[in-house]
Amino acid sequence: MRTILCIFFLPACLLGGVFEDQVVPILERSCLKCHGGEKTKGKVDFSGILTELDAGDHLDLWETVVEVVELGEMPPEDENPLSPDEKKGIRGWHEEFLKLPVETAIPVFRPRRLSANEYRNTLRSLFGFDLEVGIARAEQTESGDKSLILKILPPDPPGKSGFFNDTHSTPLSSSLLENYTYLAGISLDRLFSIQGKDSLARMTGQNEDWNGEITPDLAKKIVRSFLPRIFRRSVKEERIKLVFEQLEGKKGKALVAGLKFEFKAALISPEFLYRGFLAKQDENKNRQPVDPFELAERLSYFLWEDMPDEELFESAGDGSLLEKGEVGRQIERMLTDSRARNLSESFGVQLLGLSSIDDQIKNNPIHLHALRTQPRDFLHYLFTEDRPIMELLDSNVTFVNQSTSGFYGNDRKRLAPFHKPRGIERQRTMNQRLEIKEAEGRGGILTMPSILSMNHGPILRGTWVLRTILGVRLGEPPGDVPPIKPPLRGKKMTFRERFEAHRENVTCARCHEKIDPIGFALDGYDKNGRYLLASYHNRGNQPPIDTSGKLPSGEEFKDFEGLKRILTTTKREQVIRNLTKQILSYALGRKLGRGDQGVVDKITVKATLENSSWKELLIEVANSASFREIVFK
Amino acid sequence: MSRNWKIERRTFLRGAGALLPLPFLNLMEANARSGDLRSSDPPTRFMTLFKPNGVHPPSWNINGGKENDFRMSPLMQPFAKHKEDLLILDNMGDFGFSSHSNSTRRFLCGHHQNSRSASVDQLIAEHVQGDAPHRSLELTTEGLFVNQIGCSYISYDKNGGMMPRDSDPQLIFDKLFRNPLSDPGKRAEMTSLLDRVSSDAKALERKAGVEDGDTLDEYFTALRETELKLEKMGPLDQGLESSKFDRLVRPLAPSNMDEQVNAMLDVIAMALWTDSTRCISYMLGNSNSRMIFDFLGIKKQHHYLSHFFRNFSRENIDSLLKISLWHMEKFDYLLNKLKSYKDHNGRLLDHCVVLYGSGMGHSDNHTAQRLPVVLAGQGGGKLKTGRYLRYSKNQELGRLHLSLLELFGVEQESYANAKQPLPGLNGGKFDEFSERPFESWVKVNSDTMTVQGRLRMSDNLDEAKVFYIDVAGRDSIRMEIGFGDFHSRNVAYHVGTPIKLTGKTVEKDGSTILNKITGLESLFGRSNPGKAGG
Repeated sequence: MRTILCIFFLPACLLGGVFEDQVVPILERSCLKCHGGEKTKGKVDFSGILTELDAGDHLDLWETVVEVVELGEMPPEDENPLSPDEKKGIRGWHEEFLKLPVETAIPVFRPRRLSANEYRNTLRSLFGFDLEVGIARAEQTESGDKSLILKILPPDPPGKSGFFNDTHSTPLSSSLLENYTYLAGISLDRLFSIQGKDSLARMTGQNEDWNGEITPDLAKKIVRSFLPRIFRRSVKEERIKLVFEQLEGKKGKALVAGLKFEFKAALISPEFLYRGFLAKQDENKNRQPVDPFELAERLSYFLWEDMPDEELFESAGDGSLLEKGEVGRQIERMLTDSRARNLSESFGVQLLGLSSIDDQIKNNPIHLHALRTQPRDFLHYLFTEDRPIMELLDSNVTFVNQSTSGFYGNDRKRLAPFHKPRGIERQRTMNQRLEIKEAEGRGGILTMPSILSMNHGPILRGTWVLRTILGVRLGEPPGDVPPIKPPLRGKKMTFRERFEAHRENVTCARCHEKIDPIGFALDGYDKNGRYLLASYHNRGNQPPIDTSGKLPSGEEFKDFEGLKRILTTTKREQVIRNLTKQILSYALGRKLGRGDQGVVDKITVKATLENSSWKELLIEVANSASFREIVFK
Repeated sequence: MSRNWKIERRTFLRGAGALLPLPFLNLMEANARSGDLRSSDPPTRFMTLFKPNGVHPPSWNINGGKENDFRMSPLMQPFAKHKEDLLILDNMGDFGFSSHSNSTRRFLCGHHQNSRSASVDQLIAEHVQGDAPHRSLELTTEGLFVNQIGCSYISYDKNGGMMPRDSDPQLIFDKLFRNPLSDPGKRAEMTSLLDRVSSDAKALERKAGVEDGDTLDEYFTALRETELKLEKMGPLDQGLESSKFDRLVRPLAPSNMDEQVNAMLDVIAMALWTDSTRCISYMLGNSNSRMIFDFLGIKKQHHYLSHFFRNFSRENIDSLLKISLWHMEKFDYLLNKLKSYKDHNGRLLDHCVVLYGSGMGHSDNHTAQRLPVVLAGQGGGKLKTGRYLRYSKNQELGRLHLSLLELFGVEQESYANAKQPLPGLNGGKFDEFSERPFESWVKVNSDTMTVQGRLRMSDNLDEAKVFYIDVAGRDSIRMEIGFGDFHSRNVAYHVGTPIKLTGKTVEKDGSTILNKITGLESLFGRSNPGKAGG
């Protein structure tokens, strides 16, 4: 199949198509003066884009181009405008271009540094203990992250993919290297101290009456066990021998110091700090399946944000991981492990932008805790309990604790009672799983109090749903955005009516016709997420709330429930496509390219048709070519 | 002059005790060489230890003592053995109540409204830093109480801004003594490590493709930058002997709060002894700490227990006192440490001023009066210790701070509301509290009673909510009032002083007790109850 596509596609590029004949001349005449060669205004550079193949490397750019050309924002006013035919030409090319089948092409592999979270988890798994900040915990106090590593390492900025594990663009620096050295040093000091005795015993299979003495024989055993785990793959005998030579003849304190030195060197080596340096290359091919250890590592950092465990190592060691169906079996197993929590805590939080909940509530840590944990627990449930993908938007299960139970009407009566012991003035409570039966206006992520209170008002809510759930690229509002007009004197206008007026402006309508219907559908919830339209809610003589609307694609709905039905039926494929893209991008730790589109298409179609579960989606992603194949240059 | 600085190695080791068999640190010699005459005196260090959640006054207060003739109170027993090194201050504080947040600010800022200037420790730090590599340390045990952020800070910068605090003893130790780039021995180790890593990575480079090569380049650049940094730091040390901090023992990772605090106090003593810093403030907890002292077998939150009137039970009082005693033991631990180190020709404590206490008195009523305040150490001879100073009138903490500033040579006309330093600290004269004569009597009129006498809290822990008014020649009048009366009349403020009180009575177990206050006047002090937040 792939070969056929390839044959079909390649000649089109070689012969020179619509892009070369119609678009390139426009670029040369109207764009290159400011966007290429000497000037690259707005960091836009067309000078290297000569063929459709080049254009394919800049997918986002073309969306922007089509947008600004349509609106007449480019070329700027003092330049010759494009003719309607030229505009149509660009748009027509772009539409056709997006429909072109693409050969699945995987970009050349680049090793990437472990993210701060990955580094923390890996060190924990390696050593069997956590490095924690010594700080007493008390209710209602914020102690920052417990982890000493996260306190010391600078936080990772999101990479081009938008995910923190995409560290390609944040290089290693000298001060970061010093931090790694420091952290490796204190971890090793602890491992070889009285406090690390248990870890060391576990690592080398010593029994309980081991006195903690490190004999030369034991030292060799430690090296054989520890070094492969540091490098996350089997280590050649010659390398082990090299280390043995360094330890030769050493005893007692000198031996321990020697071990610490060797491991410290390994822990600040590029092979440890980066992922994929040791991926095996079959010399005759560029594109090839990843070797089993690389695959094991990809799986474990994807689902656990952590290094592979013993079982994955074994499966990689004997090659069985490459057998058909084995990845699926491993994923099933991995999702039942406590480390799978990191999938919601890291991927889930980044996918939905949940960390901005923290900015909403500054001085009530107990309520903040409730709002933070609710969507995380919900995502964890969806990911690990084989729930259908669409339950993200429509589910009758939710997670509530004492702080959030009030949002769930009579359903909360079915919760186990919250018990506060005497003498405890304030305390956080655990979330309980709750089946929604009577509560009005609840179910799915969009109606969770925490999500609603994270985004106040219809515009932010609409934008969030479009971007996060539907994967719509909205672009930034234009610089000369006119203010929302105040109501005319003597005339009462609702917020909604004022935005309707706003949409009469074509520039504004471009985004607001998409944003507003979704945003106003959520207007029945106040800024704290309370459902104002509940039947028991007496709104007195306040104006009625209109939550009906019509999407630009034509679907109409009466209220938010109606919108939800549209999202889960006619928009299902769009939602699944967006989620697939996000998961794949997170799994790969890189931004997707046009070459990944085939993978996304295939997974999306299958998941939509089969109404797949999250688990099935994760397995599909892990079995995709983008995940299982690697390209060396 | 410089002779003083050269201490025999053996003397030194004896001073440090068996804990730290250290080589002599050359710090003081370095000072002497600088030629500055004043620097030949050992530096005086300032250290503050803050106790959260006020006190249970009957257990804390010294009653009836005189300057040189006093008995330490029950809560003071853990550090009673240091009596000769202590200066116990009484009648420090303000009139009125105080929120937790305000009482926290008061402790080192003198007054809760003094929110635009530095706290006294910071003013001292600025002045005394000298050659010490770290200006000051601000330490704590627990996280931020975000609901009332002021509860989490005692140290404030020159604009009145909160100073970030650290809580991890290992991190502080590393910052002071294990900085790989500031210690020649550590630099040598780091350099050989980098050599090793670099040669290993070169082997990798031979195999790397183009894209990998870019990443490796990035790695080698970071390696080289670090090597350059090390070179700039100066020569490497060959021997271990000269790494002066090498034998200081890094504390283990604490497994409970007790270990965490002990480890921190160890590091504090090391920091002061090695002259790494001359000023440290340390909070044993946030001012309204809700920590649970599970290692003492207590399951209730400290703040809840500290409201011992409202939440009275014998078990709660016992728990509260256990926690308070633990706080006092930590003070004792610190003093033992500071005594164990030899500094100059004496003990480290001789060249320290330690301020221990809180900005809150009665922990249920939040009175800002009779605050627990103890000074320890001789401050280089400027404090005359072994005494109990009970002032005749309430003394604002600002006056104490003004005296401390004077002691450390910071010239300042006033601090907070205080224009005059607190007298008596150096042995000079002060206006000592003395009982003024007053008459005591009782008048009963059916179910009301008016009584004049000295108010006291019950000494019996089984009746921690009960007050007595002592009247000459008869049994004391027992008073069992509700929280409303207790709080709105600021009854705690009047404890220990003569008052005239009118109230309703009932018969209980065959005797008459007061159970409702209708009037309360102080014979010599202020009668209105003061304002909350004051």
